[in-house]
Amino acid sequence: MIARLYRLLVIGLLPIALIACMNSPPTAAESNAAVPLGIDLGSSGPVAASTPAQAAVPIAHAAAPDVSPPHGNGMQMAHAGANDAHGTGTVNSVDPAQHKINLSHQPIPEIGWPAMTMEFPVAPSIDLKAIKPGTRVNFTIEQQPGGMYEIRAITPAGAGR
Amino acid sequence: MNRFAPPSLAITRRPFMQGAATAGALSLIPFPLRALAASAPVLSGTEFALEIGTVPLTLDGREATATGVNGQIPAPILRWREGDTVTLAVTNRLSQPSSIHWHGVRTPSPMDGVPGLSFAGIAPRGTFVYRFPVRQSGTYWYHSHSMFQEQTGLYGAIVIAPKAGYAQAFDRDYVVLLSDWSFEPPETIVSNLKFQSNYYNYGQRTLGTFIDDAQRTGMADTVGDRLEWGRMRMSPTDILDVSGATYTYLINGQPPATNWTALFRPGERVRLRFINGSSMSIFDVRVDGLPMTVVQADGNDVVPVIVDQFRISVAETYDVIVQPTADRAYTIFAQAEDRTGYARGTLAPRAGMAAAIPPMDPRPMRTMADMGMAGMEHGEMPGMELSSEGKKLQGSVGVDNVAMMPAARLHGAGEGFPSGRRVLTYADLQAIKPGSDPRPPAHEITLHLTGNMERFIWGFDGKKFSEAEPIALQRGDRVRFVLINDTMMEHPIHLHGLWSELDNGHGDYRPYKHTINVKPGERLSYLVTADVPGRWAFHCHLLYHMETGMFREVRVA
Amino acid sequence: MSTRIIPIAAVLIALAAPAAAQTPAANIEPGLGIEPGAMQPVMDQAIFAHAIFNQLEGRWNGSNTQFRWDGQGWAGTDYDKLWIKSEGTVSNGALEDSQQQFLYSRAVTTYFDLQGGLRSDLDSRPTRNWAAFGIQGLAPYFFDLELTGFVSGQGHLAAKLQASYDLLITQRLILQPQIELNIYSKADPARLTGPGFSDIDTGLRLRYEFSRQFAPYIGVVYEGKFGQTANFVRQAGESTGDVRFVFGIRAWF
Repeated sequence: MIARLYRLLVIGLLPIALIACMNSPPTAAESNAAVPLGIDLGSSGPVAASTPAQAAVPIAHAAAPDVSPPHGNGMQMAHAGANDAHGTGTVNSVDPAQHKINLSHQPIPEIGWPAMTMEFPVAPSIDLKAIKPGTRVNFTIEQQPGGMYEIRAITPAGAGR
Repeated sequence: MNRFAPPSLAITRRPFMQGAATAGALSLIPFPLRALAASAPVLSGTEFALEIGTVPLTLDGREATATGVNGQIPAPILRWREGDTVTLAVTNRLSQPSSIHWHGVRTPSPMDGVPGLSFAGIAPRGTFVYRFPVRQSGTYWYHSHSMFQEQTGLYGAIVIAPKAGYAQAFDRDYVVLLSDWSFEPPETIVSNLKFQSNYYNYGQRTLGTFIDDAQRTGMADTVGDRLEWGRMRMSPTDILDVSGATYTYLINGQPPATNWTALFRPGERVRLRFINGSSMSIFDVRVDGLPMTVVQADGNDVVPVIVDQFRISVAETYDVIVQPTADRAYTIFAQAEDRTGYARGTLAPRAGMAAAIPPMDPRPMRTMADMGMAGMEHGEMPGMELSSEGKKLQGSVGVDNVAMMPAARLHGAGEGFPSGRRVLTYADLQAIKPGSDPRPPAHEITLHLTGNMERFIWGFDGKKFSEAEPIALQRGDRVRFVLINDTMMEHPIHLHGLWSELDNGHGDYRPYKHTINVKPGERLSYLVTADVPGRWAFHCHLLYHMETGMFREVRVA
Repeated sequence: MSTRIIPIAAVLIALAAPAAAQTPAANIEPGLGIEPGAMQPVMDQAIFAHAIFNQLEGRWNGSNTQFRWDGQGWAGTDYDKLWIKSEGTVSNGALEDSQQQFLYSRAVTTYFDLQGGLRSDLDSRPTRNWAAFGIQGLAPYFFDLELTGFVSGQGHLAAKLQASYDLLITQRLILQPQIELNIYSKADPARLTGPGFSDIDTGLRLRYEFSRQFAPYIGVVYEGKFGQTANFVRQAGESTGDVRFVFGIRAWF
């Protein structure tokens, strides 16, 4: 008889247990089951080490950083960096006000350029008075963070040729 | 209230939602998988089988037949890895030909998915196997390029994981695909526009707005303004050709009422991949209460920019990272540019939470700058002459306006943004690494974006696609495209297969884009290296503009 | 003479086919795409068709009621369309003042089409046929304009001007002033029209657009006859200046 009572008790308690289960604190899937959920594609994992430092710091607008070159000595040269390329060409005109030179240069295979005539900004330390239109020159250009190629070094080319 | 129940939702949730015991057991399953059970699936790997077919759907008791992939709208998210070669067998179960174009993904020309250029399309009951190496990473999307199937639901996201790892860290990652849905068949929409081009514009100028304006700026000014626009037979209220009058705006296939939710734990960095997969709708997107850091545009890394809001035109993508720190819900709010409706989702720590939906911003109005006549007062025509090409265009059947003074407008975000909000501009986008082709362009190709709103004809240089020749380039060419928008509407211009490097003042750090939104009256330019041969589509991505003529072939031989 | 109308109209219809540029049938290197010309990526020469009833109304002047319709329909591409115009009045059980035009319409400028074809006056009075030519489009300041000239087989000339304007009171409530004028070179007593400025039908209609395609309206119209036309009309016992209230539907599809 106790066994029967016990069975009755279990049977009686079962619905209560079930009701308790149903009323368990809502899980995300249970409550508001109608809400469509976005699929999380996961986290980024380790961040690529090769990205430049400025990429990690959010900024409102990108600004080209100032470059203050050290003094040259004889040869007009500013700090030569890793993005150097070297070329030969003829000076067409010099613009002291904008500190620019217009050059017709030979192909520059280091950066895949064909022969072109174009304007270059010149590093501030270089004295444009020393450069005359019509002169053949050897020059070094470096790409600035803003993207433009700037003349970092310029010397008259050897006589002849 | 609209109730949207895509069949996939109904089918996948039933086994999970029966009974409390199941729900109890479900709570033991880790969080991301539970979310998976209730949303459109994701397909990963290198082999894919996609089936294009009709998908019956119900929106607020109203039934319609949409076109989808694998029975879903939007189509499944495809996850690829940079460096893999992917094979996608696409079977067409529609009764019309279909196609899939991988938007922004550089493939060999025959794999580009444009019927009539790349291939002959996928015939009904046919299967086409796409196969190409994936040499890029980022957020992209795919859609039909046949007739109006893109409007009826055939669009989905592509997420390509970078080989070298991500540039910015994040803890969660969600695709946010915005789109527009209409119960009217797209053929009817175009037909309506052909008869009455302002059919969907219920924001026109009325006697009421005349009185309001006269009270605000005086009778003389108001009459002068009405006469000025009237003389041109233009309306400054033309913002979007097709509006919320027929559209329901969707976020990942869900209308605002169903509250699509992306879950996060407070303090986590959440990446949101916004894709505008709509046919005709430009959205102004913000997360109400959170600033966004824009990290990618059109799948390419950019120097991060913090903004409160951005305008995303059709077919563009922007990846942003937000970092919600509070234990509350945030509304993801994408309002249509003409403020006739919005798509809405929620960023929340728990499902079922919702934040207040902010009111929509005031509706923008077109200005004389949009007509390409910035700075010209009523009737004043300073000794400005149209260019010779402009003179030829003016008055022709396909052209209702030629911009007198098209201007550079990259530093402006556009109209319709309240002051005090930081809004993204194209001038803010700067690539993280310099362009791979440092050559200056060898020549320029200038194209006018033209249209006749009254007749609803759109084209380039006053000509529809069927009236024009292909643009021919040599393989290896480095060219500059100059686009002049003679119309008073934005046009998102998309060149297939080749990158468009936007000239926006960052020199060799020009952003690489696949879709460039040209503002009304704007003149902009971009560089293209024609490094992959083929027949490439070049068109406005507003679907009804494209189909009525704003399309060209760029043939790289 | 009426048989000469048809060749004239046919010539007008045969004029100016659209000049479509042919994509050069250059060969594409194998593997770069499909051959040009086989299939078009966009179908921008689609044919559309629409019809509209600008007036479909009952006209009541206090003593009797007339029924009037004025509608147009066209089918074609952006450049070339075939156009039908029809108008007429049913008065005292008889069909009056009814004209149908069958035109070929060619888009020539941004806002105007050139039209040419046939007009046929078909009603309870003797039939007249004319060759028709004219322009239709949107004039500056958003006036809808139709100006058509006619030549009959006997060398009579006629002209018709129709203009209207939509003034939006709200987004759906629209007030439309409208005018139609007819001019004839010669008298046609059988049709009660005299030379010169013959008649005017002008009205002010206020419509409510339940949808763009369906807009019931009320309004007031004035039908006036002038010159010799007025004499003919008075002779026939009808009024020469009639003000009527109208109620109708503006519908298109």
